[in-house]
Amino acid sequence: MSPVSESYFGIPGYIIFWLLFVVALGLFIQRASLLLRLLKLGQPENRFDRLTYRFINMLAVAFTQSSNLKSFTLKDPAALGHAIMFWGLMIFGVAYLIFIGLGAGFGLYTLFSGSGFETVFYSILDIVAVLVILAMVWVVLKRYLIIPERLKREMGTAEKIIQPLLIIVILGLMVLHFGIEGFRYAAYGIPNPGPLLGASLANALVNSGISREALAITYRSLWWLNFVLLLAAVIYAPRSKHLHPLTSFANLVFRNLAPKGSLKPVDLKKPETRGASKIQDFTWKQLLDLYSCTWCGRCHMVCPAQLSGKPLSPRELILGMKEHLLEVGPDLLKTRRAKPAATTGKAVEAHAEPAAKPQEPGQALIGGVISEDAIWSCTTCRACQEVCPVSIEHIDKIIDLRRHLQMVAMSEIARDPLKNLRVRGNPWRGTMYARTDWTEGLDIKVVGEDSNIDVLYWVGCTEALEDRSLKVAQAVAKLMKQAGVNFGVLGEEEMCCGDPARRLGAEHLFQMLVANNIQLFQSYKIKKIVTACPHCFNTLKNEYPQFGGQYEVVHHTQFIAGLIKESKLKIKPSGKARVTYQEPCYLGRYNDIFQAPRQILNSLPGVTLVEMEQNKKAGFCCGGGGGRMWLEEKIGRRISEIRLEQALNTKAQVIATACPFCLQMFEDAAREKEGAEAPKIKDIAELAAESLEVPQDTARPGNKESTE
Amino acid sequence: MSENKGVLVYCESAGGKLTTTATELLGAGSRLAKASGEELNAVLIGSGVSGLAQEAIAYGAQKVYVVEEPLLKDYSTEPYLMALEEIVRQVAPEIILLGQTATGRDLAPWLAFHLNTGATMDCIALEIDPGSKRLLMTRPVYGGNAQAVQVCEFNPQIATVRTKAMAPLAKDSTRQGQVIKVVAEIDPAAIKTRVIERKLEAAAGVKLEEARVVVSGGRGMGSTDGFKQLAEIAGVLKGAVGATRPPCDKKWVADTQQIGLTGKVVSPDLYIAVGLSGASQHVSGFSSAKVIVAINKDPEANIFKVAHYGIVADWKAVLPAFTAELKEVAG
Amino acid sequence: MKNIVVCMKQVLDPEVPLSLFKIDTEAKLAVLPKATPPVLSPFDENALEAALKIKDAQPVTITVLSLGKKLTRAVVKASLAAGADQLFLLEDESFSDFNTFLTANALAAAIKKLGQYDLILCGIQAADTNAGQVSTGIASLLSIPCITYARKVELVGDRVKVERTLPEGYEVVEVPSPVVVTTNYEVGALREPDVEAFMSAGKKPLTVWNVQDLGLESGKTSRTSFLKMYQPAHDIKCELMGGASPEEKAVKLVAKLKDLKVI
Repeated sequence: MSPVSESYFGIPGYIIFWLLFVVALGLFIQRASLLLRLLKLGQPENRFDRLTYRFINMLAVAFTQSSNLKSFTLKDPAALGHAIMFWGLMIFGVAYLIFIGLGAGFGLYTLFSGSGFETVFYSILDIVAVLVILAMVWVVLKRYLIIPERLKREMGTAEKIIQPLLIIVILGLMVLHFGIEGFRYAAYGIPNPGPLLGASLANALVNSGISREALAITYRSLWWLNFVLLLAAVIYAPRSKHLHPLTSFANLVFRNLAPKGSLKPVDLKKPETRGASKIQDFTWKQLLDLYSCTWCGRCHMVCPAQLSGKPLSPRELILGMKEHLLEVGPDLLKTRRAKPAATTGKAVEAHAEPAAKPQEPGQALIGGVISEDAIWSCTTCRACQEVCPVSIEHIDKIIDLRRHLQMVAMSEIARDPLKNLRVRGNPWRGTMYARTDWTEGLDIKVVGEDSNIDVLYWVGCTEALEDRSLKVAQAVAKLMKQAGVNFGVLGEEEMCCGDPARRLGAEHLFQMLVANNIQLFQSYKIKKIVTACPHCFNTLKNEYPQFGGQYEVVHHTQFIAGLIKESKLKIKPSGKARVTYQEPCYLGRYNDIFQAPRQILNSLPGVTLVEMEQNKKAGFCCGGGGGRMWLEEKIGRRISEIRLEQALNTKAQVIATACPFCLQMFEDAAREKEGAEAPKIKDIAELAAESLEVPQDTARPGNKESTE
Repeated sequence: MSENKGVLVYCESAGGKLTTTATELLGAGSRLAKASGEELNAVLIGSGVSGLAQEAIAYGAQKVYVVEEPLLKDYSTEPYLMALEEIVRQVAPEIILLGQTATGRDLAPWLAFHLNTGATMDCIALEIDPGSKRLLMTRPVYGGNAQAVQVCEFNPQIATVRTKAMAPLAKDSTRQGQVIKVVAEIDPAAIKTRVIERKLEAAAGVKLEEARVVVSGGRGMGSTDGFKQLAEIAGVLKGAVGATRPPCDKKWVADTQQIGLTGKVVSPDLYIAVGLSGASQHVSGFSSAKVIVAINKDPEANIFKVAHYGIVADWKAVLPAFTAELKEVAG
Repeated sequence: MKNIVVCMKQVLDPEVPLSLFKIDTEAKLAVLPKATPPVLSPFDENALEAALKIKDAQPVTITVLSLGKKLTRAVVKASLAAGADQLFLLEDESFSDFNTFLTANALAAAIKKLGQYDLILCGIQAADTNAGQVSTGIASLLSIPCITYARKVELVGDRVKVERTLPEGYEVVEVPSPVVVTTNYEVGALREPDVEAFMSAGKKPLTVWNVQDLGLESGKTSRTSFLKMYQPAHDIKCELMGGASPEEKAVKLVAKLKDLKVI
């Protein structure tokens, strides 16, 4: 009864079956092996730690579709559709293995043909197939009639043909399921009880009067058609964007388990790890990311650079690099086979392209696939990685490109701040302040003179050296003094934490600063650090351990919230105000600190906290991260303006910040905005200090302002 | 060498007249000469400059030494140095004054090294010490953050003087003096520098160094648009626009508009500093202005320590009203 | 191969925050703040950039000379990181930041000791003295010309071609080498060292010479001396315009300036 056991034009079905299968498998392996070899072009990377955890985690995420469903909203319910597709095709996959593979291919169909097991399974398949068909109809709607913004992408001719074909294949397979069921039961007997839909269809066919032989022939034809379509999909998947179902599992297994805020360190002594300028400079895992992109476009839709008109799109970064890899990779493989020494790794003279390097076809990576403007537009806000369902890491690729530009290609970008970091230990070229100027009149302990402290207040370059932000440092110090905290500052010895250097790609300056600071911390036996800057917080907490510096690092909002909870700070009622909170990317999305700042705001009497539409993990960047605080924003609209508008939509009178970059960016944007509607922009520490139950310092007009 | 006596002033000319710097040097020189009971002499080097000798006398010179050669038509270090050294040999002055100008900066150190004495550059004050009778030279150091008073134990004592730091005497055409023509042996073969090209660009509008009103902007201006507003004010007041270094680096203005220690030094009647913090290097470029006004949103900015009048506010909020009122009052 | 000598002075950071700048009136020198390391004088960095631009176009050796009483190695070695080939430190107790005469003599002696020198580059003036005399002194002692205010320098065969800034334009001059040329900032900012250079600066040759090594006779004292050095008192009290709004303050200011007859 199995179509495989018949003969066709004298050839036994088994032979045709296995022939077709072997051909398909061969073509699949051919492509898969190319893709694997292309991965091997990449640099090594160790993602093989904690393998059991990685594997189990992947299973959990993939099978619950959690990384997809987290993006489900009523406005964009596509994630649900995908979940249906995923589960549906998983179940069908098992069905194909059992019924086609074991049943037909190995002739074991007698084991379950007509059995209760088969009935149950087919019943499930009936429901699943209906759901998948509905999902596919939804897909057709969304690909051809009402196309969402995030799916709008220029497709090449190949893709334009592939997309409908693949839709037809999947729809075909689902419809064929019913066809095969129906015609088979109709031809050979309907089991009782049979699968609900399948049995109904079979009945209808039986009653239609078609001859048994015709039914049988139709059944066999449909069966073989199904088999061929299935094999077509197998051949096709690794050659299309539907590679992602195959690699996304691996991508989840090998995802980054290091703290979100830590970029991978670079061994500066090795020329081949100083950033990436060619596709083979990336690691195999970075290349695997390229395969796994599903084209969903979610990253594109949340990227503040993209939304403000910059030429950067995280999706285009990944897909452009993938296309580039597929274009130049095969030739690169050929050349490597011929001359392994010339192409493995980089030349020893890192700043001169080795003469032995072969000509690569296609366009260059930097300047071709991705422009320098796009590379510098990234604020490293992590919104892209937050929404990516397959854990693609966009940021580390941009950073690697930046590393090449800064350390090898010697870009002119951010030259002044980086030179100032190298020569003076801070990025604020032109500041008239010394690092201790903000402490004037405040009697702050300097660790160099008295190292008996419980906690180090790490001021950060911006709050020590930038006009507006000095007041935040003063507010923090005031709060800590009021609470009786035994704290001290490094004063003039403090050097930049290194975040701007690292985010701009100047890894050598970063490591120089880190080494210096760790030595300083060691000499003063520093164990606990409080800082008001999320960037310093993130680097000290998540990146200093890479170089041997382990400290208890606390953000000032966590610290102040703690002080309030312990009643070490008394808050008095002050004026009423409607306050909204700007989520700093490096505090919220990167380090999951959402509650502490809100706790403080809620504890200030008179404050009505209103949330912006995009808050917590969906918080929108102010535009200052990724070293962009020191770069001119010349393309498109200012990111800070967009976020300011979002803040103004809450009708808040005060925008509370917890990051000196957010503070500066908003102050600048508010200045540009004409009219009296500009809200007050204050750091949470300033708001808390103003509400302290202490006599106000009348000499400083800034602190006297009420929150009205 | 015979004993050194008297003050010798190196006078530059432009456009057929003595430069204002030259007249200021003569004023300073005359006061120094009087204090030491000596003579004030001037030297003119060039081609077609003898006509200026009378002007030098009118501004205080008692003797004017003139070296005129067609070879000396345009300034060039080697021949001018040879001519000047000839005069110095003949005159043997005790004090030589030059302007802190391109020429003065060039010649003074050469003279010092050739004559085995010392030169003191960019002096803002000169006086004769009543006790030692030596010249006390006050000049800025450390980018203008500090000042130093220097003396030279050797003769001649050479000083270059900052423009507008000294006051000229009132021009008195009735003054009498002697004009002495000197022939300097200038050997063309000894001149190693060959000028291939010289291009002089006429500055549009009021020249920064001569403007009576200067409006300057700093980093706080934010863009070229900010400077357009300053240009409008300068236009109303018939002045010129200057800048600190960052706007030049960012190409919001031309490099030639930079005011400061390494840019131009100006001495206007009115200097308006907008959106700039007042770093010493910049302040040294205009500290001798009669009236200094600052507009800056930061009350702690250094500029408020050197300004006579100020407004603490964002320039964006101030300038429109300021410009409008100026047009009414001064336009 | 031609040898370009670049003289680079280590100076008190000209961008030192004002609150950290103090003059020791006894020593008649600024106190070097602990918090702000010294830097290479900015115009001298431009001089090195001019040398590197020549090296971009033709093979030359760049020799940097730094002179001082006590030189901070990390600071002066930055010249090697930027691309200079060798560094000579002239260090001696008798050296001073403000002794034009001794400095010029020492540098000239060092240059002669190097043997070959085709072009000597300096900044137009040092950030601490603001004088701009040493370059001329070197030229005088070596009996070669000195071309100042260069914004472009080229080595063409055995001649040096310089484009120099004039107050009202520019001129192009040509001089047979060797010659001293001083550079202003229009020559271009000193390039940042790429990471390879940053890491390998320590391996390039560094030699230290003192007064004996230079064969300088004693008695090369300064030709001028300091009577005093001080920070001028800021006795100007700024009169701030009052007013409820910036517009009101602006109007008051105009009235004031009219009163003063400056507008």
